[in-house]
Amino acid sequence: MIPIDKETLEADVLVVGGGIGGLMAAINAAGQGARVIVAEKANTKRSGSGATGNDHFVCYIPEIHGRDMDPIVKELRNSMVGGYHDNCMSVKFLEQSFDRVKDWQRWGISMKPTGKWEFIGHAFPGRPRIFLKYEGSNQKLVLTAQARKRGVRIENHLPIIEVITRNGEVVGAIGLSIKEEEPALKLIRAKTVVLATGTSNRLYPSVSPGWMFNTAFCPSCTGGAQAMAFRAGAKLVNMEFPNKHAGPKYFARAGKATWIGVLTDPQGEPVGPFVTKPTKELGDITGDVWNSVFTDMYKSGRGPTYMDCTGIAEKDLKYMMNGLAHEGNTAMLKYMDEEGIDVRRRRVEFAQYEPFLIGRGVEIDLNGETHVKGLYAAGDPVGNFRADIAGAATFGWIAGGSAAKRAKGIRRFQKIEGSPVVKDHTRFCSKLMARENGPSWQEANLALQQIMNDYAGTGVRSETLLTAGLTYLRDLKRKAVATMKADDSHTLMRCLETIDLMECGEVILLAALERKETRGLHVRSDFTFTNPLLQDKFITLQQAKGNVQIEWRDRR
Amino acid sequence: MPPIIAKEKCNACGTCAEICPTDVFRAAGKRTPPLVKYPEECWHCNACVLDCKQSAVTLRLPLPAMMLHVGAGKSKSLSGGKGEKGGVRR
Repeated sequence: MIPIDKETLEADVLVVGGGIGGLMAAINAAGQGARVIVAEKANTKRSGSGATGNDHFVCYIPEIHGRDMDPIVKELRNSMVGGYHDNCMSVKFLEQSFDRVKDWQRWGISMKPTGKWEFIGHAFPGRPRIFLKYEGSNQKLVLTAQARKRGVRIENHLPIIEVITRNGEVVGAIGLSIKEEEPALKLIRAKTVVLATGTSNRLYPSVSPGWMFNTAFCPSCTGGAQAMAFRAGAKLVNMEFPNKHAGPKYFARAGKATWIGVLTDPQGEPVGPFVTKPTKELGDITGDVWNSVFTDMYKSGRGPTYMDCTGIAEKDLKYMMNGLAHEGNTAMLKYMDEEGIDVRRRRVEFAQYEPFLIGRGVEIDLNGETHVKGLYAAGDPVGNFRADIAGAATFGWIAGGSAAKRAKGIRRFQKIEGSPVVKDHTRFCSKLMARENGPSWQEANLALQQIMNDYAGTGVRSETLLTAGLTYLRDLKRKAVATMKADDSHTLMRCLETIDLMECGEVILLAALERKETRGLHVRSDFTFTNPLLQDKFITLQQAKGNVQIEWRDRR
Repeated sequence: MPPIIAKEKCNACGTCAEICPTDVFRAAGKRTPPLVKYPEECWHCNACVLDCKQSAVTLRLPLPAMMLHVGAGKSKSLSGGKGEKGGVRR
């Protein structure tokens, strides 16, 4: 049997995932006196999609934007991160976003590298700009140091595999230690849990077939928050809407909005309606708000589409390269240098990447809490709000504060050792490790990707295909659970990630079946109409007594 | 992929294995450079290269991730056209 560490940890607030959202939750909770543990799959200094940096932070700064916030709310909804927000969440986020910017600046992340607040890139011509340009290459180091300074206990290499609830309230969680080759389970009694596991990648085939880790966002982020929240009885929302990122074709770990250029066809004609020559102030927002342009151009036979930076001013080129470095794209910059890809003379092909979950997932309230008492979520796995780094920072902070407050009212920790869920997981992990033969996690993950691509993709979706896909996926999951094999702690973690992804996939298929219309990238071939009556209606899914309850609700 | 560790530069501090977001490395022992155990799981984030104090780690980008690029050539619109001002379409 897989060993269970004899020492059970205790936390007022257990934060699952030490990315931007998780660390900000931890910092605020610890600042309020809570005993906080961050359980992180890798190492908080370099984990998650913000591992080596970011350079844009959505925010509202009254001294720049004016006292009326409404135009900024509108811009947020029209931006690449808008679309499926509860309006009240957008407002609360914008109200607090500048406070988080000031925190980061004070702690040593350069939020105004030129000495003033600058909104550069991700911008429409003639409209207010909402993306603050910053230099975030040290963001994870700084946030980790701030968390430690407040007494947060960081447990690296400890992915959480299940949240434990009792009578509808959170009482703890199970971690899987991957520090050594031999895995071990670690139990944590917790008064509250904040889920902050980032985006969900590896659901669909990557832009390089068979190369699962060639993803724009961190491929270790695999739907843990959505799957654990769903199993615990929380609601998931907006799961039917695919989201895609875009950037250099075949090199997915790269950005797009930091480039200062124009997206053009092979003849050099701009493909978007916004800019005609490289402009530092705007970038080319076509790739943000119409990122199917790359696929559309390709399918029409008029592709490929290129990022064309020719004609860029020398000082703007320097600015762009610095921005790309702070966005964490140093591997790409070195490659370009070695390969002689000088953007003043070469155009780089851009493409749309595979769907992944960001801003689709766990439904939270204004305090960051889910429908399960004591269970919170923050950042990319939240389903009714999205603002990427800034959203994670702001709602991470809110969720951590709310969790700390709730924990103050709970006097005792509850015993979780020997509970049925612990026994189940011990048995299952032990089985995976004991099997001598069987499919690897890679087989299971690739099988999942092909089903998601063919039956819940962005090309064709219909009642018959989605229904068939659901049957196939459930068959696959049964087989994977019954036969999959792990060799060590690392592959055991990957096996469990793959099962989480399958559960996310199942919810996507169910939600996609329910939405009988075409909206955004949710293209129903059997319901091609975009029904205005459904514009502000969200679909939620919740597990109760073994059944999945699907409900519609109004946008709040 | 994969990260390549120059053994003559590596002092076996284990930092790369410790900080890799995708757990590509396995620490091999106190005086041995870490093993690049799961090279196909590299995300190309460059954390191992950035954090190696010995500058012992480099990334080799795999062929499927090669960046596609062409010469810029002529582009009439980029010089500006009718109804366009300051590089912005009106």
